[in-house]
Amino acid sequence: MDLTNFFNSYPGVHLVQAFMHSMTAMIVADRAVRAWNISSPVVRQKFHLIAVFGPVFSYPLYQWFDPGRGSIQFRLDALFDSGRWLDVELWGVLPAVWLILVVPLATTAMFLIQELVPILRHRSGPEDPDLRPVPAIEGSPVVLAAAALAPRPPDIFVIRDDDPEIHSVTSRSPGIYVTTGLLRSLEPAELKVAIAHEIAHIRRSRMPLLVVAYVMRVLLFFSPGTLVAFRKAADEEEKICDDWAARMTGRPDALAAVLEKLRHSAVYEIEDQDPGQPLSEMERMSYDLMVRDRIRRLAEERPAPAVAGDWLKFAVTAVSILVMNYYIV
Amino acid sequence: MVRDVKKQALHALSFLVTLAVVVGVLKFMNWAPGALEPGLMSRYQGVDDVQATLGIRKIYVPAYFPETLGWPPAAILAQSKPYPAVVMEFARASDGETMLVIAQAASRSFDPEAAIRFSTVSETVALDLRGRRAQLEAGLCEDRTACSRLEWEEGDLHLTLTMKAPSVELIRIAESMLH
Repeated sequence: MDLTNFFNSYPGVHLVQAFMHSMTAMIVADRAVRAWNISSPVVRQKFHLIAVFGPVFSYPLYQWFDPGRGSIQFRLDALFDSGRWLDVELWGVLPAVWLILVVPLATTAMFLIQELVPILRHRSGPEDPDLRPVPAIEGSPVVLAAAALAPRPPDIFVIRDDDPEIHSVTSRSPGIYVTTGLLRSLEPAELKVAIAHEIAHIRRSRMPLLVVAYVMRVLLFFSPGTLVAFRKAADEEEKICDDWAARMTGRPDALAAVLEKLRHSAVYEIEDQDPGQPLSEMERMSYDLMVRDRIRRLAEERPAPAVAGDWLKFAVTAVSILVMNYYIV
Repeated sequence: MVRDVKKQALHALSFLVTLAVVVGVLKFMNWAPGALEPGLMSRYQGVDDVQATLGIRKIYVPAYFPETLGWPPAAILAQSKPYPAVVMEFARASDGETMLVIAQAASRSFDPEAAIRFSTVSETVALDLRGRRAQLEAGLCEDRTACSRLEWEEGDLHLTLTMKAPSVELIRIAESMLH
C-alpha cells in the first residue's frame, strides 16, 4: 500500500484529520485564552484540553453526522482539503507529502525521547545506589509538614543529592521525593508549601479528566497541536497546584521563594521529564519563562477563580473549533 | 458597567479576528496546492471546458437519458493530476436531487465518494456489457430507495455509474455510452 492509498483509507483520513484538527484547536484555544483575557488556570486548562480531546473523536463524529463529508463536492467547498497536498509534487519530483510527514515524525520522536523513554528510565530507578530514595524518618520536618497538610499524607522519600529538587509520583502508590539539597536550602514554611504543591499534584492526578487527557495525549503522539496543547495544560496544572498550596498554607510568598531557589538550580522539576536530568538550553529557557510567570502570579495576584462568563466563553470557543474543524477534511 | 461591556465587546472582537485569521490561513493553504500543481480536482462549467482546460480528450457521455434527468450535468468535477478523472452528476429536473453519477478515472483507486451512497448491497453480478466484463451491484440507497452501480474497464479508464434507480435503467444508460 503506497502512502496516498493509506491516507485515503479510513485510518489514514482519521490520522490526517486528527493532525489538522489538533493544530487548529490548539491555535484557536490558545488565542482565545488571550483574546477573552481568561485568568483562572482551571478554565485556561480546559481551553487547552479542547485540542487534546477533540481531535480523537472529531472525524468519526463528523462522519456520523454527515457521511457525505468525504465527497469530492464537500472537499471542494471545504476550508482546507488535506487531500490536495497529497497530490502535489514539488518541482515535479518531490512529493509534498514527504515534506509534510517530517512534522508528525519529528513530533513522534519528541514524544519518544522527551516523554516515553524518561518515564521508562525513571521506572527502573537510578543506577547509582547512593541516589536511591529512602523513606523519610518519622518525625522529621518533611514528614511533619506533610502530616499537617493531609489527614493521610503520601509517603515521603529522601534522595541523597545536593541538587535542590522535589517531585511527586502520582501512580497507585503515590509518593513525594525530595533531595537532601533541597531540604537543606528551604525554610520550614517553604518546605511546607513545597510539600503542599506536590500533594495537590497527587490529589489532582486522580481526577478522571486528567487521566483521560493523558491517554488522549498518548494516542495522538504524532500530533504537534496536541503536544503543545497538552504541555500548556500541564503548565496550567502547575498554577492550579500553586494556588492550592498557597491556599492551604496561606504563604504564596514562601512558594515563590521555593520556585526562585529551584529556578537557580542546575535541574528543575518538570512535568513529563526525568527528574534530575539536565535540560537542553531551549527547554531551560522555556521552563524558566514558565517558572518566572508562576513566581509573578504568586507575588502579584490572588488565585484567580473562574468567573461566571468564563464558561460561556469556553462554550463559544469550543463550538467555533467544532464548526471550523468540520470544514477541514 | 458601560466600561465592562466595552471591554467584553473588545474581547469578543479580538476572538473574532483570531478566527478570521485562522480561516484566512487555512484558505491560503487550500489554495496553494492548486497554484503549485495545476490540474488538481476542480469544478468545471461543461464537458468542453474540461477538454479545453485539462486536455482530457475522451469523456464518456451517455446518449440515452431517462426523461426525468436534466441535461447538462448539475456538476462536473475533473482533474488531470495525479491522474485524469472526471465526475458528472445529473440531477432530477423536478427537484434538483442528484440521481446519476458517472465517474471515469485512469486509476482504480479513484473513489468519488459520490452524492449517491449505498446503505445495503443486496446483489452483485457479473455481466457482459457490449463485450466488456462489467460488475453490477443492486441494493438500497441511504434514503432507502433502489440503488444500482455498474463498473467496468474501458481501455485505461475505470468507469463507474451509480444511480438511484433499478439496474435495468442503469444498464441502458451504460450501453448508450459505448458506441
